[in-house]
Amino acid sequence: MRIGVDIGGTFTDFVVYNPKTKQVLTFKRLSTPHNPAEAMLAGLEQVPSPEKREIIHGSTVATNALLEGKGAPTALVTTQGFRDVLQIGRQNRPSLYDWQASPPPPLVPREWRYEVTERVSHQGEVLTALDLSQLPQLATSIKASGVESVAVCLLFSFLHPDHEQAIQQAMRDAGLFVSISSHVLPTFREYERTSTTVANAYVAPVMDHYLAEIEAQLITDDLQIMQSNGGSIHPEAARTHAVRCILSGPAGGAVGAIAVSRQTGFQQLLTFDMGGTSTDVTLIDGELKVTKEASVGGFPIGVPIIDIHTVGSGGGSIARVDEGGALRVGPESAGAVPGPACYGQTPPGSLPLPTVTDANLVLGRLAPEYFLGGQMTLNPHAAIEAISRLGRQLDLSVEQVALGIIQVANAHMERALRVISIERGHDPRQFALLSFGGAGGLHAADLARSLSIPQVLIPPQAATFSAFGMIMADVIKDYSQTVMLPGTTPLDSIGQHLELLKAQAVEEMRAEGIQRDNLVLEPALDLRYQGQSFELTIPFSAKVLEDFNTVHQNTYGYANPHAPVEIVNLRLKATGIVPSPEIQPLPFETSDPSRAYLDTRPLYLTQGRIETKVYAGEKLPPGSKITGPALILREDTTILLETKDQAEVDPYLNLIITVG
Amino acid sequence: MTHSNYDPIKLEIFKHMFAAIPEEMGAVLQKSSYSPNIKERRDFSCALFDAAGNMIAQAAHIPVHLGAMPLSVQQAIQTLPLNPGDVMILNDPYRGGTHLPDITLVSPVYVEETLFGFAANRAHHADVGGMTPGSMPIARELYQEGLILPPIKLVEAGQINRGVWEMILANVRTPVERAGDLQAQLAANQRGVRRLLDLVTRYGTEELHTYSGHLLAYTERMTRALIKALPNGQYSFSDQLDNDGIGEQAVPIRVTITIAGEQAEIDFSGSAPQQQGSVNAVFAITLSAVYYVFRCLLSLDAPNNSGCLAPIRVIAPEGSVVNAVHPAPVAGGNVETSQRIVDVLLGAMAQAAPEKIPAASQGTMNNTLIGGWDTQRKRPFTYYETIGGGMGALHGKPGDSAIHSHMTNTLNTPVEALEFAYPFRVLQYAIRQGSGGAGRYPGGDGIIRDLLMLSPAQASLLTDRRSTRPYGLNGGSPGEQGENLLIRDGSNKLLPSKGSFDLKQGDILSIRTPGGGGHGEIDAD
Repeated sequence: MRIGVDIGGTFTDFVVYNPKTKQVLTFKRLSTPHNPAEAMLAGLEQVPSPEKREIIHGSTVATNALLEGKGAPTALVTTQGFRDVLQIGRQNRPSLYDWQASPPPPLVPREWRYEVTERVSHQGEVLTALDLSQLPQLATSIKASGVESVAVCLLFSFLHPDHEQAIQQAMRDAGLFVSISSHVLPTFREYERTSTTVANAYVAPVMDHYLAEIEAQLITDDLQIMQSNGGSIHPEAARTHAVRCILSGPAGGAVGAIAVSRQTGFQQLLTFDMGGTSTDVTLIDGELKVTKEASVGGFPIGVPIIDIHTVGSGGGSIARVDEGGALRVGPESAGAVPGPACYGQTPPGSLPLPTVTDANLVLGRLAPEYFLGGQMTLNPHAAIEAISRLGRQLDLSVEQVALGIIQVANAHMERALRVISIERGHDPRQFALLSFGGAGGLHAADLARSLSIPQVLIPPQAATFSAFGMIMADVIKDYSQTVMLPGTTPLDSIGQHLELLKAQAVEEMRAEGIQRDNLVLEPALDLRYQGQSFELTIPFSAKVLEDFNTVHQNTYGYANPHAPVEIVNLRLKATGIVPSPEIQPLPFETSDPSRAYLDTRPLYLTQGRIETKVYAGEKLPPGSKITGPALILREDTTILLETKDQAEVDPYLNLIITVG
Repeated sequence: MTHSNYDPIKLEIFKHMFAAIPEEMGAVLQKSSYSPNIKERRDFSCALFDAAGNMIAQAAHIPVHLGAMPLSVQQAIQTLPLNPGDVMILNDPYRGGTHLPDITLVSPVYVEETLFGFAANRAHHADVGGMTPGSMPIARELYQEGLILPPIKLVEAGQINRGVWEMILANVRTPVERAGDLQAQLAANQRGVRRLLDLVTRYGTEELHTYSGHLLAYTERMTRALIKALPNGQYSFSDQLDNDGIGEQAVPIRVTITIAGEQAEIDFSGSAPQQQGSVNAVFAITLSAVYYVFRCLLSLDAPNNSGCLAPIRVIAPEGSVVNAVHPAPVAGGNVETSQRIVDVLLGAMAQAAPEKIPAASQGTMNNTLIGGWDTQRKRPFTYYETIGGGMGALHGKPGDSAIHSHMTNTLNTPVEALEFAYPFRVLQYAIRQGSGGAGRYPGGDGIIRDLLMLSPAQASLLTDRRSTRPYGLNGGSPGEQGENLLIRDGSNKLLPSKGSFDLKQGDILSIRTPGGGGHGEIDAD
């Protein structure tokens, strides 16, 4: 039995794969933010198994510690003269025209930033040796200051890690958690490396504590932790590399997208996860895209993280008229409390807030009696009241304003999808839009239409999709090393450097229980033309330089095949293949959807008020076809088909919409 | 509120559509360029214009280009009509440019035979020739500052003009890097043209044209509302630059802001005449500083377009340091004088809106240029860096430390990137403790950056606030002034705020940047 558990702010989601029936079961419990493990353990009790359970767990423990400033008291040790690098950052301010905006305060205050006498050159030579005799005293002072965890980041340590390793030993001897940059992220650019190492040191003790608690309760199970790169790792590795688990929830969604891609045969997907306050989008081009330039809460995180773009637009986004007379939607959100006007929770004396959800309700696109599977009843009168207030300001009807709110919200989300596709050289017309998250089903087809995306996929676990992805995840480890070699370096020599990384990967994967036969090693080089300061990652092969020129041409519109190239970093992605759950396709039943038919009601669509058939999504049989206009009500989401849209349920219960 | 002629929903949608294009151009330019100036430091900007040269959208990259870009395009298109497939290049400060290192490329967007608008980008090149590496020398004439490019066609009917291309590269110190950056700039404009044509296909020229007009009016309405909320009256302030790099005298800059209803008049009469040295600002720079200040007072997500300046009249006497005439040198106008213009504008505005205006920030970009022959790598090099400092405090908020303020927001070059590429070693990169002005809300601290030379080199410094201090407000103390030091054979020598110097192997150049002014008296509770 393989179980994915995704702990979110409101719900903890469970997806259980039973290898005997080859079926998937999903359920949710309310999260327990005071002790996130509580909801997880209680949920796991609902799915006992005589055999060992494989549990893949994604949690926001590391993220929340970072974003809420609740990590361990952390010290930083740097090369003499550089303890302020962490605070100076890249010396830029976060917002050009906002005097109120400040960078986030550094995770380590100045009094806990220590310097040691040592220096290594850009060629890895020791210019000033580390004085080992100062270390016991340093460790004692750090320990005495009340610090629990220490980050060590020395200049050029990726070329000569000995100094960091010596400090690591001294700190360990003093009983401190310690993270060294040559281990966490051995690549150049000292600020990004320091920031990543500090984030790791800051969240590692919190992660350690949390994992210890879970492991104590799950002794008989096999526990894996979801990472932000789309793979899982053993809890032991998650303890030392806690920063790799920082965005595990969205990473689960991206892995789930790969699984749907295999089921449906759509190789290229744009994922669209619209929630209450924000929308996450990612691009899948046969494989996951990762970035090494992510920033979480304003802190650069240089380890590979699924490339997710987030915009502040969701079901709870608030609509208003601004001082220039434009209709604006978001980024302010009504949140869960008071929530959209139609939640009926507006406190006395306040005006109900008009939101995207209210706009959908006013247009008849949400069934008030069937929100969250009937767990919540919506109040259409409150929605109408809130939106007509805007209508009076704009001199427009309630329906016109509601349609406008949806168009503006869609414009935000369209821009997010353009950023990850068109801006990075991909044509959305060659992609399908995979929509999950509760709020997306009403917007997905319209959004696809405006980007000329021909098809939309809505998976059966739309609201527990991240947990679904977790059961599909392989074990993945990423390795990197800055080398800064000329492009003329013989391939053999580069191969030898890569062998060192490969040996490390094989060894560490063996510790994860992955045999060599199940291990896929993908070496790559980060390359640039000499003088550039941005690298492209190109798979390592005999024609890696040629490929670099081609990718540069495709990405930026030009290439300089005769210009000297620099090999900046070596990279290795190691994937331990875990046998994927084989979900059994269901046999074709009928193309006739009538057994799921509920009623016909008036809806406002782009062309106006139209009588629309409404279906119960869970009752749609595999093979059934629906022609728009139609509204499909499911427990986890509501799906809108406009007049020319057509939808079909596939053998895996994915709803595939052909956009008209 | 009336909207008899526009749809408030479409207005918002077009705002997003237009704004996305220069952002995408910027992504292309940043990632494919060679110069650290462009990629690591983001010293560039991208914008779209209508056929009349009104700026429809600009991505928020660097404020000093804000007002300057529209003037460039307007002047340039009057000088040289562009046909389909042409790309114009220019850097002449007196014909649409600002200072010579900023090279602007303008591409027309044609829908069939009709001109619809322009895509343009401007990027700061690390070297465009001239007296010293980095092309920001202490010059007396524009001609000494580098290669001057009047508006000419770099690309004609889709073909690069090889003559122009070769001539540019023959006049710069690092031609391979320049070629790469120019290619990146061409790629960015191509992307902008293509995206604008995509919008034409989607919405038609008529609707696009109508809504670009509505967006200009929209920003104008927002600016008018902002001015209307200020008390009517006249507000004056003056401050000064240390010197022009040649003479010793301070260079005063003065402004009087008159707020009358929904309109503002910004009068720089009383400012110094244009100088022998390179601190002269062309009018476009002055306009950018004005735009910047009003932009900061506007709602954060108001569109960046020409509408912001419509209710504002700027008077800058011709031949003054804020509106220099040919052939005054201008390298420092962009990077130093622009900061002082912001300081005087804020000093005056603080009288009208004391709760909203910060005390003076460091007021300089601490331009550091070093070049020469790298004896280790056996190749020429030019290095250019600006260094952050203290930000001025605001009512309710202390100033940030070690950060760029106002007219620039360029990133630093990482120490490790710098040592991989140049014959220097960084000995210290630290916050200059105690340099921020005291106050109820203290000003931010400056930076100390110490560079050890591993090769002989030539350095140019173009810095300011070495003899005056960034002012505090409302009883707050001023920030510390900056210091430029040369440490040779163990002894310190104070360097002037502007000048060119020969450095020996083993010399240490130490730049200590100013702190920001404090806000409010300490005891006031």
